[in-house]
Amino acid sequence: MNQINQFNNIIRNMSKQNIYSKSCLLRITKCLSIAALFFVVLSCSNDEKQKVTNFKTLVMQDEFDTDGAPNSAIWDYNIGTGSNGWGNNELEYYTNSSENVKVVDGMLEITAKKEAFMGSEFTSARLLTKGLFEQKYGRFEARIKMPYGQGMWPAFWLLGGNSDEVAWPQCGEIDIMEYKGQEPTVTHGTVHGPGYSGATAITKSYDLINDRFDTDFHIFGIEWGEKYINFYVDDVLYNQITPNKVTGEWIYDHPFYIILNLAVGGNYVGSPNSATIFPQTMYVDYVRVYK
Amino acid sequence: MKTRKIIYLEVTMLLVLISGLTLSCTRDLSDDSQYANNPKTAEVFIDGFSAGLDYGAFGNTLLTGFNVDTDVSYKGSASMRFDVPNVGDPEGAYVGGVFIDGGGRDLSGYDALTFWAKGSQSATINELGFGNDFNQNKYLVSMTNVPLATYWKKYIIPIPDASKLTSEKGMFWYSEGPENGQGYTFWIDEVKFEKLGTLAHPVPKIYDGVDRLEDSFIGMNTTITGLSQTFNLGNGTDQTVGVAPSYFKFNSSDESVATVSELGVINVVGSGTTVITAKLGDVDALGSFTINSLGVFTPATTPTRDPANVISIFSNAYTNVPVEYYNGYYAPYQTTQGQADIHINGDDIIRYTQLNFVGTQFSLPTVNATSMTHFHVDIQVQEAMTAGDHIRIQLGDFGANAVFGGGDDTNGSVNYTNASLTTGSWVGFDIPLSSFTGLASRSHLAQILFISDATISNILVDNMYFYAQPNAPTTAAPTPTVPAANVISVFSNAYTNIAGTDLNPNWGQATVVTQPLIAGNTTLKYAGLNYQGIQLGSSQNVSGMGFLHIDYWTANSTSLKAYLISTGPVEKFKILTVPTSGWQSVEIPLSDFSPVNLSDVIQLKFDGNGDIHLDNIYFHN
Repeated sequence: MNQINQFNNIIRNMSKQNIYSKSCLLRITKCLSIAALFFVVLSCSNDEKQKVTNFKTLVMQDEFDTDGAPNSAIWDYNIGTGSNGWGNNELEYYTNSSENVKVVDGMLEITAKKEAFMGSEFTSARLLTKGLFEQKYGRFEARIKMPYGQGMWPAFWLLGGNSDEVAWPQCGEIDIMEYKGQEPTVTHGTVHGPGYSGATAITKSYDLINDRFDTDFHIFGIEWGEKYINFYVDDVLYNQITPNKVTGEWIYDHPFYIILNLAVGGNYVGSPNSATIFPQTMYVDYVRVYK
Repeated sequence: MKTRKIIYLEVTMLLVLISGLTLSCTRDLSDDSQYANNPKTAEVFIDGFSAGLDYGAFGNTLLTGFNVDTDVSYKGSASMRFDVPNVGDPEGAYVGGVFIDGGGRDLSGYDALTFWAKGSQSATINELGFGNDFNQNKYLVSMTNVPLATYWKKYIIPIPDASKLTSEKGMFWYSEGPENGQGYTFWIDEVKFEKLGTLAHPVPKIYDGVDRLEDSFIGMNTTITGLSQTFNLGNGTDQTVGVAPSYFKFNSSDESVATVSELGVINVVGSGTTVITAKLGDVDALGSFTINSLGVFTPATTPTRDPANVISIFSNAYTNVPVEYYNGYYAPYQTTQGQADIHINGDDIIRYTQLNFVGTQFSLPTVNATSMTHFHVDIQVQEAMTAGDHIRIQLGDFGANAVFGGGDDTNGSVNYTNASLTTGSWVGFDIPLSSFTGLASRSHLAQILFISDATISNILVDNMYFYAQPNAPTTAAPTPTVPAANVISVFSNAYTNIAGTDLNPNWGQATVVTQPLIAGNTTLKYAGLNYQGIQLGSSQNVSGMGFLHIDYWTANSTSLKAYLISTGPVEKFKILTVPTSGWQSVEIPLSDFSPVNLSDVIQLKFDGNGDIHLDNIYFHN
């Protein structure tokens, strides 16, 4: 049942296509904190296939310590339903309303509500650092408590900063965490690139033992360097993806930006059912990026 | 379809100890309780009984149905095998029993009882659980209708609130009957308590999560039902288990209205409104019970008519015919709310509010009331009335096709104004079916309607039934037992009557007087009574007597008075309660007839209406 330190490529049905159309230039990243923190120790096995480097210099952090709207110097929003439910037949309408996204008691709360709005059945939020913070390589991690129930699809992921110049998946996508509300013990880490995207993306899931992701906070992260991306949950490294693991071009050598969102329904997760309780909230304690 | 045996464990259990046999049990059951330092042993059955475990079978079960199987196991060297008997097996109807650790265990560190199971065929196990200690079952948990596959599957029974289980004896219990009448075999292995850590989002419920609302009165008591706890399991599915009341903490928002005990028994003690809610652990349970207590309750008079002569629609005194509803909520014009809402001291009462009209329907099947003569209903108006207020009682017959519509339906109604009703008191109506003008048939009766046109909004209704009223008594009045020496008799076969008495003096009355034999006994019958005298053969001095005794029987009289008359004439009447159910005997103190001269009584007289049978009219002391 458990797949820790096993390297399987699990095919799944997912696509995030044709959703980025706006042109946007790279901007100079604003460094938001000078504090360098060294507290996450990755306990890696000595698997010969793994290559681990610790990035220790903190270059961006949001601890979500100021109540109200998220810091606009870091976070922008995707609004609406994109094209065809953000390419995935998702059911929510993304807003930047405080009903769907706010900072409270040291947490970013992204809340999916069941409410008819602009032709959609649900509302939620999707935050992104595009043009505000983008970085090539480094450690990207967030501490998150998941929502719960069939049809909930929270994600913490990166998209290539050149997504406006080159079509997805050529820009690259790194999904640090994706989660299905109906599988409360499982998280998924994935990369999408040319020749391996959507259903053929390179992915692996991690199944918690004697615990679940929707009852308390867990840390989801990657360590990403030249020719490797390591995926970890809490102190467990559960996957490493290297150029020889992908079935196409390695396109992870340019800056990426961060996305945090809570989707409702869609091809990947399926629709909510009568047992799904609304509203549901994804709690983010912090987002930190090191180089 | 499966033959389900509903087994009420508390009632039917028979403890059959098999300890010390092949099952390696080491202790006998004990009532001694340990509240501290109980072992935290997790294992119940792995490859054999865990230390301290005993097995007891339920009553009427196949006692040979449980064995330890060393040929089949999910893991290790043995499993528990359960052989379910076929329907009709004389040795037992089902398998079921409990696994008890008489010393008690501290299970507070676990969150579930888990096991692996498979069947010789796909099946649905009736009930499984823990917390059955063959005693109070205080922390009983049951997982019902458990689907069984032909391959090993793991099952998880969540502990509703583990902090309660510091001294639990009931480790495991099960109960299963035949599938489609056929027996089969299932195996259970690796039974143990676990700390899974993956059970989350508890959703406790009372009343199955429904918010109930009911009117009530002081004296009502009821037990909270529909208790469950649901956890989301690690695989994302929800698992619901039935839960004993002791896991919950119940609350009444106003204890001067109703109290609720630890076991979920509600007692209504005052008037007003209270809301009964519950918590399991820190979580508020879904479901509630809002009780609107109307205060002191006086029930309607309990019907006494012979059930053989009654077709009951709504009464706790009789077995009711099948009724589809007591409120059809007819759209779009009906405003009336409520139906059989009130349950008190074993009595059910209909309360209608916002009444304009409301229908009770009993068309599956319709009622053939051709042999019935009357419709009875008790109504209590619960508001002040003014002139013009009314309730029309309508009966509907669905005709030969026995369904609504089709052109053969007929109905008739009888209207009662505020003068016939009493605010705050029950009024019993006994309405001849012939009074329902327009009701062309009563062989397919199917509806009773109350129509107030919103003049009267709040009523209680009880004892709706059709009945046949016999025309004459079929038995004789009770034979008097007073010694003849103490009696001056006017009319009785048991005594020598006053000589020369005229039982039918012509006073201009319309009453028809006869003396029919009822069961060999002569009675005095007044048909079509308006008034009727009895001229005694001679003036009687009854001042030495204490009472006037009369036996009377009437099915249709609504008014009856008995008079005593002395010379003058000086007369005084006594009201007799009518109609009667069978012979009614009265002993009227002669002092009630004051100022009649008891030393010079010359006549008796009755007035009123209906058909009256009289017997055993005598003075005595």
